[in-house]
Amino acid sequence: MIDLKDITKTYRKSGGMEVKVLQGVSLKIEKGEYVAIMAPSGMGKSTLMNIIGCLDKPSTGEYRLDGIEVDKMDDDNLSSVRNKKIGFVFQSFHLLARTTALENVQLPLIYSTDELDMNALASAALNEVGLGDRMHYVPSELSGGQQQRVAIARSLVNDPSILLADEPTGNLDTASSTEVMSIFDKLHKDGRTIVMVTHSDEIAQRASRIIRMRDGKVVSDERRAA
Amino acid sequence: MKQAKTVKLALRAIGMNKMRAFLMMLGVIIGITTLTVIVSVGKGASAKVMRSVQNFGANAVVVFAGGGKVMGPPDEKTNTLTLEDSQAVMQEIKGIKTMDTAIIRVGRTVKYEDNNTNTVIYGGTVNYGDAWEWAVESGDYFTEEDMASMARVAVVGKTVVRELYGSTDPLGTNIKIENVNFKVVGVLSPRGTSPMGMDMDSRIVIPFTTASRRVFNTPYVSLIRLAALDPNQVEKIESDVTALLKERHHIQPGFPEDYRVSGASSVSKMAKGMMGTLNLFLGLVSLISLVVGGIVVMNIMLISVGERVKEIGLRRAVGAKKKDIRNQFLIESSLITLMGGIIGVLAGLVVSVLLPVMSKGKMPAMLSWEPFVLGFVFSVLVGILAGIQPAKKAADMDPVIALKS
Repeated sequence: MIDLKDITKTYRKSGGMEVKVLQGVSLKIEKGEYVAIMAPSGMGKSTLMNIIGCLDKPSTGEYRLDGIEVDKMDDDNLSSVRNKKIGFVFQSFHLLARTTALENVQLPLIYSTDELDMNALASAALNEVGLGDRMHYVPSELSGGQQQRVAIARSLVNDPSILLADEPTGNLDTASSTEVMSIFDKLHKDGRTIVMVTHSDEIAQRASRIIRMRDGKVVSDERRAA
Repeated sequence: MKQAKTVKLALRAIGMNKMRAFLMMLGVIIGITTLTVIVSVGKGASAKVMRSVQNFGANAVVVFAGGGKVMGPPDEKTNTLTLEDSQAVMQEIKGIKTMDTAIIRVGRTVKYEDNNTNTVIYGGTVNYGDAWEWAVESGDYFTEEDMASMARVAVVGKTVVRELYGSTDPLGTNIKIENVNFKVVGVLSPRGTSPMGMDMDSRIVIPFTTASRRVFNTPYVSLIRLAALDPNQVEKIESDVTALLKERHHIQPGFPEDYRVSGASSVSKMAKGMMGTLNLFLGLVSLISLVVGGIVVMNIMLISVGERVKEIGLRRAVGAKKKDIRNQFLIESSLITLMGGIIGVLAGLVVSVLLPVMSKGKMPAMLSWEPFVLGFVFSVLVGILAGIQPAKKAADMDPVIALKS
């Protein structure tokens, strides 16, 4: 499903100095896997996430997503790929203020070229995260855990190939973290492919596979029995 | 992306900060209001000019005694224009169909029984009807015999009839003009307002000879009115008459004339000139407001883009293309200015309705469909022009950086 070959990413800093954030990452992730990517801050895990999520392009290397060569795509096509195949969950939720949960969840559908029943899809996604009774609440009326569940519903609404979660519990207290993580567990059980960036061992232990990175390279790749 | 959704999104973004949206609209509102007033007043004015020229007579050339003044009735103390002048004009200028020579006095008291009013006394010739292209409504004009005998007969205008008689038939009654008894032999048909804004129906026409010897005791002429055979010859006759009188009155080059010649063209030119100055001023106000309004919209949109970086990043992450983001902000700025434009057109129409009332008819205005089209075109144009830069800034944002901010 995700097939990365020798991915490198080099940033040029304002002083002209080049920083190699990824130094040849090769990685395969299959459908239905629950992968935790762990690395100390600044070791390239966010960059890797952005590349997997088609928000950023690798400097060199090949990336196939569902068999499509996405590393050669232009901006518009990458947008379409994100729209159809990727579901993002961010650390800081990124919900639109003063906009109901239902409308927040509909956001990806607005940018879809398909004719869709936006209300039905969005309410189904909200039901999936257990917020069927909070559809018309705006973010300020919801708890942190609930807000992140709305964001998860938003990432599910377009039935993506992968869910990409970047520190999804980073802004939550323990109770809310548990609430959110149990949703991911459930989604994994339902057959979703999940890639999660975290620096918490406890969170990572829930995944079926843990990839550790350091200095822009994969240093360990450990599969665990589910 | 669904266009209806884009508009809905933009409306919500506008609704989230109503005060800011209003400030963004303000310049456009003022600009479009002014534009609407210009169009309405311009249309009203040109209709008025048309009516004025019609009233003045499209083929008429008028010589007023006394120079200097721009417009208005001739001064009664001016002793420069004579019957000989009018005869010379008639003999030497070609293309004249008919001519009326008149003594005019304004604000004279006229009495009928116990009623009295002030009006214009016009001592004219039997050519009055032809020269003014003005028919009587009832009765008839006075005759050559009346002229010869200095008869005390009068043809009265509709305003005079209304003020002195009410609903009584004036024909055959006696009125007193400057304490001289006159018999009413005719009533003029209604004519309306002159290009100078005077009520042309407030006048009494009496024989020139009677006016000259029995009432005002003066040999001098106030006004000569010519009707050209061909309306296209009016300007030529104007200049011929001017040249002839300059010679007869020994006006040295560089000295002011002691008469004034007006034709239909100079009347409409003058009227249009007055409106033109006003329109130029209002046009500048409108242009400046729209430009300033556009700059305000652009700046606030730039601020708004800066505040919504995260939102832009999120939209890009869930699949918005660059052009979706660009369109979102373009539609937002255009909607704001369009709303301003609609408010402006409505405000402008209100002003256009009030203006004639408040200026007591001096500033006529005509409501029409054009302001809606102009308001729509200009406000959307300002919105798009002002939105280009902010929309480009939003669309070109790197989603990775936008999400991190």
